Amino acid sequence: MTNFKQIEENLKKEAKKLLEAGSVAVVLAYTKGADEKHPQPFAAKKADDVANIIFNEYCNHNLARYIVRYAPGTKIAVAVKAADSRAVVVLIQEEKIKRENLILLGIPVSGMKNQKTGEIIDEKTTGGLTNPVVYDVLLGEEIHTGKPVSPYTVLEQYEKMDKDARFAFWKAQFDKCIRCYACRKACPMCYCDPCFIDQTKPRWADKSPQSHGNLMYHLTRFQHLAGRCIDCGECTRACPVDIPLYLFHKKVAKDCEEMFKQAAGMKIEDKLVMVDFRVEDSDKILE
Amino acid sequence: MSRIGVFVCHCGLNIAKTVRVSELVEFARTLPDVVVAEEYKFMCSTPGQELIQNDIKKYKLDRVIVAACSPLMHEKTFRKVIAATGLNQYLLTIVNVREQTSWVTSDIEVGTAKGKALINGAVYRARLLSPLVSRVIDVNPDIVVVGGGIAGIQAALELADTGKQVYLVEKSPTIGGHMAQFDKTFPTLDCSACILTPKMDAVLQHKNIKMMTYCEVTEVKGYVGNFDIIVKQKARYVDHDKCNACLACTEKCPGKGVSEWDEGLAKKKAISIPFPQAVPQKPVIDRDSCTFFLKGKCRLCEKVCEQKAIDFEQQDTFVNIKAGAIIVATGYDLMDTKPLVQYGYGKLPGVYSALEVERLFNSAGPTGGKVTLRDGSEPKSIAILHCIGSRDKNNHEHCSRVCCMYSLKFAHLFKEKTSADVYQFYIDMRAAGKGYEEFYNRIIEEDVKFIRGKGARITESKEEPGRLVVEAEDTITTKFINLPVDMVVLSPAIVPRADAKDVQRMFNLSSDKHGFFMERHPKLAPLSTMTEGVFIAGVCQGPKDIPDTVAQALGAAAEVLTIVSKDKMELEATTAIVNPAVCCGCQNCVRVCPYGAPSFNEQKNVCEINEALCKGCGQCAAACPTSAIIARHFTNEQVLAEIEGLMEY
Amino acid sequence: MEFEPKILGIACNWCTYTGADLAGTTRLKYPQNLRVVRVMCSSRINPSFIFRAFQLGADGVLVGGCHPGDCHYNTGNLYARRRLAVTKKILDFAGLEPSRFRVEWISASEGNKFAEVVKEFTEHVQILGPQTKFKIAGVS
Repeated sequence: MTNFKQIEENLKKEAKKLLEAGSVAVVLAYTKGADEKHPQPFAAKKADDVANIIFNEYCNHNLARYIVRYAPGTKIAVAVKAADSRAVVVLIQEEKIKRENLILLGIPVSGMKNQKTGEIIDEKTTGGLTNPVVYDVLLGEEIHTGKPVSPYTVLEQYEKMDKDARFAFWKAQFDKCIRCYACRKACPMCYCDPCFIDQTKPRWADKSPQSHGNLMYHLTRFQHLAGRCIDCGECTRACPVDIPLYLFHKKVAKDCEEMFKQAAGMKIEDKLVMVDFRVEDSDKILE
Repeated sequence: MSRIGVFVCHCGLNIAKTVRVSELVEFARTLPDVVVAEEYKFMCSTPGQELIQNDIKKYKLDRVIVAACSPLMHEKTFRKVIAATGLNQYLLTIVNVREQTSWVTSDIEVGTAKGKALINGAVYRARLLSPLVSRVIDVNPDIVVVGGGIAGIQAALELADTGKQVYLVEKSPTIGGHMAQFDKTFPTLDCSACILTPKMDAVLQHKNIKMMTYCEVTEVKGYVGNFDIIVKQKARYVDHDKCNACLACTEKCPGKGVSEWDEGLAKKKAISIPFPQAVPQKPVIDRDSCTFFLKGKCRLCEKVCEQKAIDFEQQDTFVNIKAGAIIVATGYDLMDTKPLVQYGYGKLPGVYSALEVERLFNSAGPTGGKVTLRDGSEPKSIAILHCIGSRDKNNHEHCSRVCCMYSLKFAHLFKEKTSADVYQFYIDMRAAGKGYEEFYNRIIEEDVKFIRGKGARITESKEEPGRLVVEAEDTITTKFINLPVDMVVLSPAIVPRADAKDVQRMFNLSSDKHGFFMERHPKLAPLSTMTEGVFIAGVCQGPKDIPDTVAQALGAAAEVLTIVSKDKMELEATTAIVNPAVCCGCQNCVRVCPYGAPSFNEQKNVCEINEALCKGCGQCAAACPTSAIIARHFTNEQVLAEIEGLMEY
Repeated sequence: MEFEPKILGIACNWCTYTGADLAGTTRLKYPQNLRVVRVMCSSRINPSFIFRAFQLGADGVLVGGCHPGDCHYNTGNLYARRRLAVTKKILDFAGLEPSRFRVEWISASEGNKFAEVVKEFTEHVQILGPQTKFKIAGVS
């Protein structure tokens, strides 16, 4: 089991060192919120801020989400769990940030919990990974226990459903949507400003929370995140009406991995699958 | 609010037969913003055009919809029609009620219903169209002609005579192409060299032609009026500026290579010119047979060269050329018939392919024009097999068009040069050119035997070793034939060049199902391609004889002149632009554009598109997550509106 | 009465649209349920066009482009292949019959193939029946 206290100490120590030395302008980490279950993302900008940093099993926010807020060229240190690190990789691939401007404080962790349900989320999201895929400093021991879990096992029951049942399932889910856009706010990959759904030319869908507008919003968002979603699950945890968006994203991620032989955000040198092609791509993918 | 006029064409009965035109007109009048709808027998005719123009003025129309034939047919015509009234040409919408409606149904109910849906879609789209202004660009007056066969030569000469600078790029060390390999040409039997070599020489002498032999185009960028072409000059190991064509080197050279020119029937020196009348008359060293390159010593040619022209250190060099238009005339290959094992080509020494026989007839060929078998003896009986690999579902379905005629020519020349019996094995005789039927009749009278039946198999004779047996079914007598002969000539399918796919990609051409380059329209634009400013001529477009090839070359030259004779031209305005207010700087457009038109502006954190490089495919608009890219004339709003309109009915 | 599906076609200008014209020039007959939108390249097709078409009542959507390797814009259809493959997977997981959406490579010389594909696809959609899952209530 991860020693959260130890990681918090190490995180503070590293953050302090970096800020004191002036090697970064900001350290992205977590601080306490309303209660233990609701920590908040936190930007430590001076050494004194470091005292407010915490790390516990509810620190789920994907901190990569906040990197693009800073002006290009800003030196940033980010505390990255496995999923955060993958998001950082995608952002580097998409040239939103440069690797040399980042110091990645890697957090190997298992036993993270959903703040609403208290259940352990390792297997459901974070792609089943426990260690960051890229880091400069590791704030704990790499975790190599337990058998590796397929991040896609959870999909099986939905893939088995017949089409009508699956449509009914998703329709019921999307009909719940109140279009608060918390999903895109939480998503480290949703940095578009404005989002397509806020466009007026064209107006892709109705803006009120009606079935068809909701469907358009979500399906298009799944398409936009294809090959980019790194399975952190933040969209789902952020959702006030509990739409299991992560399932759909996971399914698209699985399909992309099967079709394009590459999972999102694993290696900086990988190309982005949706803006790339192989001459030898098979027409089978269209079947 | 826009003011739309809808004009529906009968096209005689072409449309009216399966689409109730009046009903479409009535329907159009009920649609939003439509202020007038009219019908006419032939909308593209002068009265039809005037009808549109008068209505534009009378009803102050600001959008015009023409429901007629395909936009690929007459979009340009009608754009001009509305532009003449001062209306922006991009405010025209064409509805395809002929090729994609009336011609593909026999049910007038169905045709009419589809016509309505298409008009509805067009009205929805038309309301959202914007006037676009074409960019005017400078035109580079120079021309690149690719391929130095008869087509390329003819086009180059014609263009050069008008005073334009022409670059003639040829892959092999000499110009002349396949025609230079022939002995006689059908049906007149005039000597190929006699009509071709003066033209080859004219190319060499012409002050406006830069002849680039042993060169290949490696890259084509830019667009009509402003192509940037990179040509690779392959290393010849002979400095042609110094060489005075004395050819002393070729005499001393001990290296022995295979002469492609003689179809492998003869050897050539490692340093050589391909044939005595080659242009230029300057040699090239073949690395694969040069003793120095193979063994590291020799350099005899260097010793005898007084001009010090030999340069073993020579490297490939690259030349940049700018041109306004391009003619692709890259010719053909003959099908390799070795895989057709039933004919024994490559295994049975008595089996020849057509081009080999051309070389046997040629007085400059490997036998000095004598028809002899590989063992030196004269054949006593010869079979000529038509359609080897052509008109054959298992190989190439197309007819190679010239084989009937050259096979007749062969028969005549065999009769002239030997005392052999000559047999033709054919499926059908096709003699549809000027003077061709007469030539056919003449050969029949020369005691050539015609057997209507495709040669099925060639085997070695069991009774007479060394002789061959042609197996075939005579479809007139329905008897099976086993004909013993000494020599078999195969007339293989004419096929696209082995590197046609690469050429196609480089020049952005389409190809037909056989792999020949495709013309923009089979009848009305037979020399243009889908790429503006690139034209095709000769057999690279499909099998044809010399007269047709030359006619195409001249036609392509005329097409080129319509571009390069002006110093400025208008480009399509349907390019993509970025709305910086909604660009999120994701750079997807930069990643997907094949032309490098978009770039990222780091200061502004937005992407920008260089319109001069944009070809208007709209790929970036689909890759753009925020809809910041406006693919003009195919914007998201326009396409969505059209979809909505089409799905309503 | 037999169900007459509404089928949206989106065809690239250079290959499939030209191929469709060729089907007409050679007077091939095929079902007229297809309504074609012309775009310059299959890569122009925004996946949201597909979602939207189903919402607007399309019973099937057929996208046509040049054969891979023959794209007029060199590589457009290779990107389109990936993009539209994902679209199809999304439709599938959302519970729509994925075979209502089809991508075909039809060259300018394949008038026959165009007619055959349209015929076959129309019959297929006919068997699937009306598409009601995505269709917005009230759309005609």
